[in-house]
Amino acid sequence: MKGRFRLFDILFIALLLAGAAWVVYRMRAVLHYKWDWSGAAAYIVRYDESAQSYVPGLLLYGLGMTVKLSIWASLFASVIGLFMGLMKLSVKPVIRWVAVLYVGIVRNIPSIVFIFIFYFFISSQITMVLGLDDYFTGLAEYDSILSLFFSSSSMMTLFISAVLTLAIYEGAYMTEIVRAGIQSVESGQGEAADALGMSWLQKMRYIILPQAFKRILPPMAGQIISVIKDSAIVSVISVQELTFRGTELMASSYRTYEIWIIITLMYFILTYGCSLAVGSLERYMGRRGYV
Amino acid sequence: MKKTALFLIIALAVAGCSKKESGTLLEEIKKRGVIKIGMSTFVPWAMNDKEGNLIGFEIDVASELAKDMGVKAEFIPTKWSGIIPALLTGKFDVIIGGMGITDERKLKVDFSDPYDFSGMSIVASRKKAPGFKSLEEFNKPDVTIAVRLGTTAAEAVKKFLPAARVKLFDDEAQAVQELLTDRAHAVVASSPLPEFQAIKYSSRFYLPLEDTFTKEPVGFALRKGEDEARSYFNSWIREKHESGFLKDKKVYWFRSRDWEARLR
Repeated sequence: MKGRFRLFDILFIALLLAGAAWVVYRMRAVLHYKWDWSGAAAYIVRYDESAQSYVPGLLLYGLGMTVKLSIWASLFASVIGLFMGLMKLSVKPVIRWVAVLYVGIVRNIPSIVFIFIFYFFISSQITMVLGLDDYFTGLAEYDSILSLFFSSSSMMTLFISAVLTLAIYEGAYMTEIVRAGIQSVESGQGEAADALGMSWLQKMRYIILPQAFKRILPPMAGQIISVIKDSAIVSVISVQELTFRGTELMASSYRTYEIWIIITLMYFILTYGCSLAVGSLERYMGRRGYV
Repeated sequence: MKKTALFLIIALAVAGCSKKESGTLLEEIKKRGVIKIGMSTFVPWAMNDKEGNLIGFEIDVASELAKDMGVKAEFIPTKWSGIIPALLTGKFDVIIGGMGITDERKLKVDFSDPYDFSGMSIVASRKKAPGFKSLEEFNKPDVTIAVRLGTTAAEAVKKFLPAARVKLFDDEAQAVQELLTDRAHAVVASSPLPEFQAIKYSSRFYLPLEDTFTKEPVGFALRKGEDEARSYFNSWIREKHESGFLKDKKVYWFRSRDWEARLR
């Protein structure tokens, strides 16, 4: 009988649907909310009269920014994670302490506090000292290329701050993933490399990391999905990503729930798509005998 | 990566000593050719139209200022609760966002002369607070007022309704939603927002007071010590008061509702 629908399953599904219907009904009764979906599609894609073509709406712009933020932040977080993970396993105490301190601090303060502190105290110092603001203002003519990969020149320092903040925040979690991956490689492997007279670098490069990498990849891909969701918190420092665009639109239009629903669906499509990709990656690696 | 790291180290070393001086804002804006304006979404001060462009009273004022200075206006939408720290850390040059001039804010930023006056009004729920006619009736411990965090409305509630319970929200849309779900008795906000809400939900909301209960000056906010820029803004504001520009814009955005069609 495995895999067949039974009466119990049908009852269970009916109960779930009834529950959902009841919630919707109660929402209508309690919220007294005037639903207004007119023109909501324009937040995603709208027809531009002057350009005579379809252009992305405000929320789709926001989603694009979320994607760009997530990609860059994940990339830097992985690099940070790799180095910090190696440092955490170092035999030299000072190097180890740096990594332990980093992970300890970042993982034990709320993300929103970390973002505020980092953004206002640290990243503004860095961008000011480097004169990044003036540098990017001078690049205004390359705006179309810059916006494709990063952000428009005027919002560039904000974008960089947000990427750095997110990368350092997520890097702490990546560090632990890398550390666990390296430690999961059987100790005999490292000892054999030592016995062969390999240097530390050789041992890592040829023996440990290739084996650790296969075990690191799936949890790391999962962490990247977390980065997408966590990127919503940089809306508090006014980065123009999906959540920020949404809250601004809500403040303009007072269509609170319509916009939250659209945003939720957009995040869901993005993260669920990534989950599916990670799932097929894991299956692929399993078939090839990597895991 | 190596090159970037090297570049970073060199740039740090070179720029390390040259900290930004204050008092040169005007020159800096002219040199840059762009004035960066911090603002936040408040209907009808600043909001997104259906094409996603920013429109509103403040947007008109700031664009006119930029035009007269011969520079481009660049708007940086910012969460209201973080707008003063963002100004202080140099994320933009000036806040033109309907910011009320208060003594507390003056400790942190400098204000220009007022270019506008705003007042607080109150919109109440017919069900939770029926037939209230004065502020005193709201000033009770069992009355809940919803208000936007960090606004002068929040201060006005503290001052005029000290006994009432206050719920703070990140923007007015959430405060209004709290009123719609009957978890608050009233929302206090800068006029004309309460009036607009009373019209939109006329079967559920009403206006207990006929007029605003405060009158407060509104100015541009600048970092401390930018005296040259401040006196320039002051003379610009004086000129725009005299030419009638500010009054025309005020009438368009606050007395008429012609702009509503631009929103959807």
